[in-house]
Amino acid sequence: MKRRHFLKHTAALSSAAFVGGSTFASPTEQPGLPKGKAEHVVFLWLGGGMSQIDTFDPKKRGNSKASPKVAGAEYDTIDTVVPGVKFCEHLHRTAKLADRLTAMRTINHHLIDEHAFGTNFVHTGRLISGSITYPSIGSIIGHVRGAAKPDVPAYMLIGYPNVSRGPGFLGAKGGYVYLVDTESGPSGFSRPEDVTPQRVERRRELLEPLTSRVPKGSVIEQYKAAQAEAMRLAGPEFMRHFRLQDEPDALRNSYGGEFGQRCLLARRLVQAGVRFIEVSHNLNFINGTGWDTHNEGQQNQHLLIKELDVALSALISDLEQKKMLDKTIIVIGTEFGRPAAYDGRGGRGHQGSCFSLLLAGGGLNHQGAYGVTDELSKKIVENPVSVPDFHATIHAALGIDPAHELFDGSRPVPITDRGKPVEVLFA
Amino acid sequence: MKTTTFIATVVLAISSLAVAAEPILEWRFDGKAQPGAWLGTFGTLDDGPRPPRYPGFGTDNRAMSVTGHEAALVVKDHERGGFTNVRFGKGDTFGFETWVRFRTIGKGQVAYLVGKGRHVKHGEDFPENNQNYSVRFLGSDSGAQFGILFTSEHPETKERAWHRWWSDSSVPTTGWHHVALQFTFGKANSLQAWIDGRPTEGRWDESGATDLPPVQDADDLVIGTGYARTEGSSFNGWLDNLAIYRSGFDANEIAKRYQYVPPPPAVTREMIPPGRVLVQISEKGVPESNGWPAEPQVTEAWVEDVFGFFEVPHKYISTGVRADRANPSHFRASAIVKLPKGKHRLLLRGRGLSRLFIDGKELLENGPRTLDSGGHTPLAVQDDYLDLGPDFRFAPPGNRDAWCEFESTGGEHFVILETMLGNIKGRLKQRPELGETVVAISLEGSENWSLLSPGKRHVAYNDNGWAVFAAERREWLGHVNAAARAKCREANSEYWHRRRTVAADWLTETEPVTVPELSDGYSANNEIDRFIAARIAAVARDSKQSQQSEVDYFKDIRPLLESRCYDCHQGGKAAGGLRIDDHVSVLHGGESEGPAIVPGKADESALIAHVTSKDKDIRMPPKGTPLSAEEIALLKHWINSGAVWPQFDVKDFEPTELADDLAFLRRVTLDTVGVTPTEAEVDAFLKDSAKTRRAAVIDRLLDDDRWADHWMGYWLDVLAENPNIINPTLNNTGPFRWWLYESLIDNKPADLFVTELIRMEGSERFGGPAGFGTASQNDLPMAAKAIIVSSAFLGVEMKCARCHDAPAHVSQQEELLQLAALLKQGTIQLPESSSVPPGRLHQTGRQPLIEVTLKPGAQVKPAWPFERYCDESVADGLAEHPDNSRDRLAALITAPQNERFAQVMVNRIWQRLMGRGLVVNVSDWEKGGASHPDLLRWLGHQFVASGYDIKAVSQLILNSHAYQRATDPRLVESSPLYVSPAPRRLTAEQIVDSAFHATGAPFDLEEVSLDIDSVRETRNALTLGKPRRSWMLASTSNERDRPSLGLPRVTAVASVMRAFGWRGARQDPRSLRDTEPNTLQPAIFANGVMSVWLTRLSDRHGMTQLALEDQPVEALVDRMFLRLLTRRPSPAERDRYVRLLAEGYHTRVIPESERIRPTPGKRERPRYVSWSNHVDGPANTLALQNEAAARRGDPPTNALDNDWRLRMEDALWAILNAPEWIYTP
Repeated sequence: MKRRHFLKHTAALSSAAFVGGSTFASPTEQPGLPKGKAEHVVFLWLGGGMSQIDTFDPKKRGNSKASPKVAGAEYDTIDTVVPGVKFCEHLHRTAKLADRLTAMRTINHHLIDEHAFGTNFVHTGRLISGSITYPSIGSIIGHVRGAAKPDVPAYMLIGYPNVSRGPGFLGAKGGYVYLVDTESGPSGFSRPEDVTPQRVERRRELLEPLTSRVPKGSVIEQYKAAQAEAMRLAGPEFMRHFRLQDEPDALRNSYGGEFGQRCLLARRLVQAGVRFIEVSHNLNFINGTGWDTHNEGQQNQHLLIKELDVALSALISDLEQKKMLDKTIIVIGTEFGRPAAYDGRGGRGHQGSCFSLLLAGGGLNHQGAYGVTDELSKKIVENPVSVPDFHATIHAALGIDPAHELFDGSRPVPITDRGKPVEVLFA
Repeated sequence: MKTTTFIATVVLAISSLAVAAEPILEWRFDGKAQPGAWLGTFGTLDDGPRPPRYPGFGTDNRAMSVTGHEAALVVKDHERGGFTNVRFGKGDTFGFETWVRFRTIGKGQVAYLVGKGRHVKHGEDFPENNQNYSVRFLGSDSGAQFGILFTSEHPETKERAWHRWWSDSSVPTTGWHHVALQFTFGKANSLQAWIDGRPTEGRWDESGATDLPPVQDADDLVIGTGYARTEGSSFNGWLDNLAIYRSGFDANEIAKRYQYVPPPPAVTREMIPPGRVLVQISEKGVPESNGWPAEPQVTEAWVEDVFGFFEVPHKYISTGVRADRANPSHFRASAIVKLPKGKHRLLLRGRGLSRLFIDGKELLENGPRTLDSGGHTPLAVQDDYLDLGPDFRFAPPGNRDAWCEFESTGGEHFVILETMLGNIKGRLKQRPELGETVVAISLEGSENWSLLSPGKRHVAYNDNGWAVFAAERREWLGHVNAAARAKCREANSEYWHRRRTVAADWLTETEPVTVPELSDGYSANNEIDRFIAARIAAVARDSKQSQQSEVDYFKDIRPLLESRCYDCHQGGKAAGGLRIDDHVSVLHGGESEGPAIVPGKADESALIAHVTSKDKDIRMPPKGTPLSAEEIALLKHWINSGAVWPQFDVKDFEPTELADDLAFLRRVTLDTVGVTPTEAEVDAFLKDSAKTRRAAVIDRLLDDDRWADHWMGYWLDVLAENPNIINPTLNNTGPFRWWLYESLIDNKPADLFVTELIRMEGSERFGGPAGFGTASQNDLPMAAKAIIVSSAFLGVEMKCARCHDAPAHVSQQEELLQLAALLKQGTIQLPESSSVPPGRLHQTGRQPLIEVTLKPGAQVKPAWPFERYCDESVADGLAEHPDNSRDRLAALITAPQNERFAQVMVNRIWQRLMGRGLVVNVSDWEKGGASHPDLLRWLGHQFVASGYDIKAVSQLILNSHAYQRATDPRLVESSPLYVSPAPRRLTAEQIVDSAFHATGAPFDLEEVSLDIDSVRETRNALTLGKPRRSWMLASTSNERDRPSLGLPRVTAVASVMRAFGWRGARQDPRSLRDTEPNTLQPAIFANGVMSVWLTRLSDRHGMTQLALEDQPVEALVDRMFLRLLTRRPSPAERDRYVRLLAEGYHTRVIPESERIRPTPGKRERPRYVSWSNHVDGPANTLALQNEAAARRGDPPTNALDNDWRLRMEDALWAILNAPEWIYTP
C-alpha cells in the first residue's frame, strides 16, 4: 500500500495532535539569542517533588532517626566525571555520564508549595489567571515545531491526562496522544484485543456505504478524511513503534523496570519523529509515596532514585550510541524540591524556593551542574534560574525564540514569561 | 518555705470540716462583681443551666460564655496585687468544681479551664515549667476527658517534672455537666474526680503520680485559656458556678450537685403517622462537636415508608438556591413497627455516628467516621466485613454496620434510628452525608434481609432491591426538592412580580420593532422568517453589483486583513481609531490620517502607504514579517478595481426547502434534549398529523427535563464552573453545577437566574451559587468573576483588562476592577501580580500596543462601568436591596432598559439552534455588528415580554422555517443570511450521550470522587455523584499521577469528550468551542475503551435485547438504522447489512438450556480504592486491576451465537462510526 504523506493529505484539517509546524516556526528574530539544534524533547516528570538534596544537589549528611533530627542529605555523596560536581551515592551510573548533562541547581519559584499548583507552573511557566488557560511546554513545542515526521503525533504522553499537560488555549490541536503504561498502547490507536484483522476488514466494508454517502466538499467530508487517517494510524505502521519486544533483550534489561521501559519507548518515539514526549515516573508504590516523600515515604526513597539512575543513564547511553543524543534534549521536571530538615516522622516537606531540575543531551555545552546553593540547599547563592528561564533554555535548545508569540484569540501570549536562556549552556 | 507550712496547717484544720467547705474563690456569673479582670474583651453573660432540666438552679440563672483566646479571666497572685492567696503547696488540698457546657472541642485538643503559672511571655518573666496547677479538658472520641496538670520541684535537686492526670470517662460535649476534682499535693494517690456526680477513675502520665510538691511562684491564675492563649489551647463554651477550694469534697454532696431531669421524649407514638416513618432533622440545639446532642430541636420533618436513607431533601434559601444545613445536624427516623414473635436479626448501617433504639432501649450503635485521611490505610482492613446471608448486601464504601439479635414477643415496637449528618474532625468538618443509613431485619427462619418497614411497603435489602428502591426514592426526592424551590420562589414572588410589571411597562413605553412584510417568493412560519426573508431579498439585490469585481473580497482580501490587521484594528477600541473590520471606518480613516482606502485609488490609500513603508515606526503590521509583494499587489488591485466590500459572503440566495420529517426530528431532538430520538419517539412523531407534528414535538421536547441536561455543558463552559474533586487549586470554583441544573429544570427566568448567580448565596461546596464566588489560588477572584459575568450576559470581553488596558477592546482595567468591586461589595486593591511591569511595555522599542493606567496597589471602588447600556440610577428603583452592590449589579444587568442583556441572551439561544449568532462572537460583541439588527432587537423584546423565558424564545426559533430548512451540506458554516443551515458538529456531550442512549449500553461510570468513603474534610474533597449524563463528569484531577487515584471508567469517557472539545477543568469561560475535525476524534471514538462498551453485546446492552427479538433480519437492520441514525438504510446499506447478518440468523439465539452459565465465584465484598488508602501498595495493584477491567468491558452475552454476535457488533460499530453520527442532519 502506498504510504500517504500525512501533512499533505490533511493540510486543510488542522489536525489535532498530528499538526505540522505552524507558519510562525521561523527562527528567532532577535540577534544574539542562543540557538540550539536539538530536534526532540524527552521530558521525564517526577511527580511529587524530587528532593534535590538527596539527588543532584547533595550536601552533608543529616539524620532522620536521631532525636532531635539533624537536617541534611539522606545519603552519601559521590564524585562524578565532572571535577567538583557531586551527586548522591544512588546516582552512580548517572554520575559517570555527568559531562553529558547539567543539574540545574538553582531553579526557584515562590508559589504556595502545593502539588497541582507547582505541577501547573513547571509545565506552563505561568501563574494561573482565570482569564486564560496556558498550554504546557509539550503543547507549545508540539505546536510550534510540529512532528519531525509527518505520520506521527507531535506530542505524546506516557502518563495520565491532566490540565497541566494540556494544550490550554491552543485547543485540541495542541493536545497529546497518551498511553498510561507501556502495555496498553496509545489511547485511541490501539484496537481492542478482540478486534482481529479480519474484523477490522469487515468493519471497513460495513463502514464504506456510510462514508460514501458523505456529501462532497462538506465539513463532514473533512471528518471522514480524519477518520481514514485515524484508521491508518491504528494499523501496524504506526503501532510498530510501541513494540518494545522488537528491542534486543540486553538493551531492554539495561533500562530496568516499567519506568525504564517508558524511557525506552520514548527513545523509539523520538526515532519515529515525535517531537515531545513526556514520561511520568508515577510508580509511587515502590516507596509508598512516590517523590512526595513525606513521613515514611522518605525511608525507601533510595529505591526511586536507583530506578531513575538506571533508566536515565540507559537512555543517555542508548541515545548516544544511536547518535541521537545531540538531537534529543532530556529534561527532568518536578514541581518543587524538598527542605533539608525532616518532618515529625522523618520525611520531608515541600520547598519551591530552591530546587534542582536537569537537562541532558540536546547538543548543549553541559556543565555537570549549574548554580550554587547554600550548605543545606535551602538558599540560592549564585546564578538563580527561574522556571521561565528553564523553559527558555529548552526552547532555545530547539531553536525556538523564547519570546515567540502565540495567540489566544487576538491576544498575543509569548511562549515564556520573559524567560532568558542560560547562556553558558550554549557556548 | 514559710508559706507552705502555713497553708498546710490551714488545710489540716479545714479537712476535718469538709462538709462546710467554703471556696476560696467562686464565680457564679450572675451579673454581680466577681474576682479577677478580663483579658482581651469582656466575657458575655448567657443563659445558664436552668429548670426544668437543671432543677438545682434558679429560672433566671445565668452563665458565662467563654471563648478563651478572645476573652479570659486573670486573677493576680496575692504577691502581685491579688486579694487572696491562690497558690497551693505540699499538703494543700486543691478542690475544684464547675458547671460546663462545650461549644466546640476537637479530638486531641487540650482546652484549659484554669491554670496557675505557665504564662510564659504573658506575665512576668517566669520559666515555662512553673505550672502550680491547671485543670483541663482533652477532646476525645466521645466527648472530653477531664484532668489536672502540674510541675513538681524536687526539694533538693530543684529538678522540675510534669505530672498529668486524665480521667478515663469523658464529659459529654452536649448539654450542661458538672465536674469536680480534688488533689492533695504531696500525696500521690489522693486524686479524686467526679463527672456529673459520679466518681471517675483515671491515670497519671508524663512523670506519673508523685509525692513531690508543686512549683509555686507569683505567676497569674487564668481562667479560660492556656499558656499559648491560642484557639487550640482555649476553652470554648459556657461556664457556671466555678469554684476553687482549699479543701476536699464530700462524695455524697458532690453526687447531689448534679441534678438533671431528662427532656420528655423528642418523639412520641402519637406523633408518628400509622404505617409510616417520621423523619426529623434538627439543625438547632446541635453543638459543633462529635457527640450526640442533648436536646436537638427539630427544624424539618417529613414522612417516609421504610428505614432506608441515602440522601435528605436539600435545603433551599432565598429564591430557591441550595444552601448548607448546620454541620453537624441531627437526623432521626421513628416508626411503630409490627413484628412477629421470634428471634430476629437487626442490622444498623450508616455513615455517621448512628444508633438504634427499640422500645426505649439502645440496641446498636456505630461510632463516628474513621478519621484516617492520610492515604495510608491498608487495603487489608477491607478484608473484615459483615456477611450475614446468601444475598446480603455488603456495606458500600464509607459505611459501617453493626448487628444483633432481637427477641420480639410479637406485636408493635417503637423504633428510633438516629444519626449525625456531618461530622467534626478536629476543628474541620466532614461532608454531611447519609451514605447508606438503614435499619434492616432478617426475621427468624429467613436468610434474607429487608428494610425495616412499619407499613405495607416491602423492600428487599439486597443489591437489586436497594437499586430499585434508591432509583425510586431519587426520583421522589427530585419532586420534593422542586416543590421546596417553588415554595421559596413563591415566598419571594412579590418582588419578582414587580419586576414583571416594570418590564411590561417598559415594553409599552418602548417603540416596537416593525416586523417586515413577507417578501414575495419566501416561506414563513412566523415573524422570524419575515425578518430573514426581507434581509435575503435586500442583500440579493446588492450582491449583483459586487459580482462584477475581479478580486474576490471574501477569498482574497478579508483573510489577509483578518490575519495581519485585525489584531489591532478591530472592534470598538481599534488602534488609532481605525477599524479595518468596518467598511465605514476604512473609508473614513483613523484619527490622524485620511481614508485607509480610497476606492479606485491605491496610491492615495493610507493602508497601502503603511504596508509598503520601509520606516520601522510606520510600517504595518508592527510585528512579524512584512506583507509579501504578492499580498501588496493583491490589495492594490482590489482597491484600484473599486474596493468592493460586500456585506456577506453569500452566493446563494435561494432558501432550501423544509428538511424532511425524520431529519427535522433528529435535529430538533438533539438541539433540545441533547440525544437522538428513540424508536418510540419516532413512532409518536410520525403518528401525529403531518400538519401539527412539528409544533407538537417541539412543545413535547421543551417540556422534557432532559432539556436541562442539554444546556448544562453550555453554561458550565460560559460560567467557567471548575470544581476539583480533590484539594481546590487551579482557579477552582465550587460545584455550582447543581444550582445551574435546578435553574434549568425550573426554567428560571433569565433575570432571576442572573440575579441568583451574582448574589452568590447558598452553599459553596455543595452546589449553590456561592460556589461561583470561589476562585482558588487566584489573586483577584472577583475580577475573574467580573470577566465571566460581563462576557456571559453583556457580550463584553474584559479578559485583557485583567492586567492592562486592552489594545482591541474598549474596557479599561479600572472598569473591570469597578465591576469586580461591585461583586466583592467593597474596594479592590490591584495586586502587583495582576499588572504588567512598565519595563516590559517598552522592551521592544516601539510604541507599546497595550497601556497600563492603573498602578499596582491602586484602590478601586465599586461602580457600574456600563452607563452605555443602562443608567446607573435604574438600580435605585429596580434592585430589591439597592444598598447591596451585588443586587445593584444584578438589577443593572437584567433591567429591561438594558436591551443589551436581552439581546445577548437571545443571541446565545439563536447561535446554539441556528449554528451562527446574529452577532457571530456571542461573548464579544465589539468584534462585529449584528447581521440582523432588527430581528435581534425584536427577539430581545419577545424575550422581555415572555418574562425572560429561554424556552419561549427557543420555541419561536424552533418553529421558524429558517430553523427547519434542509441542510446545505456544502456549507462550512450556516449561511449568514440563514438561507440554509450547515451541518453542525455535535458537542462532545451530544456525541457521548447519544451513543449510550441510542445503543442502550449502560452508562456505568465510577462516582466522580476520590473520597468515596468520605474520610476527608469538606474543604478538600468533593463528590460529584455517579454520573447519569456526560455533563456530570469533571477532571479526574490526577495531578499526582498515581494510578491509585485514577477513575478509569470516567477517564474512558472523558478522553472521548476531550477530543471533541470538552474541558474537564475550566479555568476560563468559553462560549464557542473549537469544532474542527482532527485525527484523534475518530480514533478515540472508534478504538477507545468507550467504543468497547458501546459495541460489546453484553446482557445489559440495549442492542442485545433488540437482537434477541423475533423479527425478520431486514426489520432488525432497519431498526438499527432508525435507532442510531434516525433514518432507514439506503438499499445499498440494507443489502450489505442484511447479507452480513442473515448468515446464521435463525440460529443466533442460543436456547436457554444450552447457554453457558459462568460458575459463580465466592461472594465477596468488592474492595475499593479511595484517597484513604491510595498510597498503599495493594490498593495501587487493585486500581490497576480495575483499570484493566474497565478496558475489557462487560462480558459478552451468552444468549447469542458467538460468531453471529461478533458480526452484529461489527455492524453496530460501523453505524456508530458513520461520519453523519457526529453532525446535525
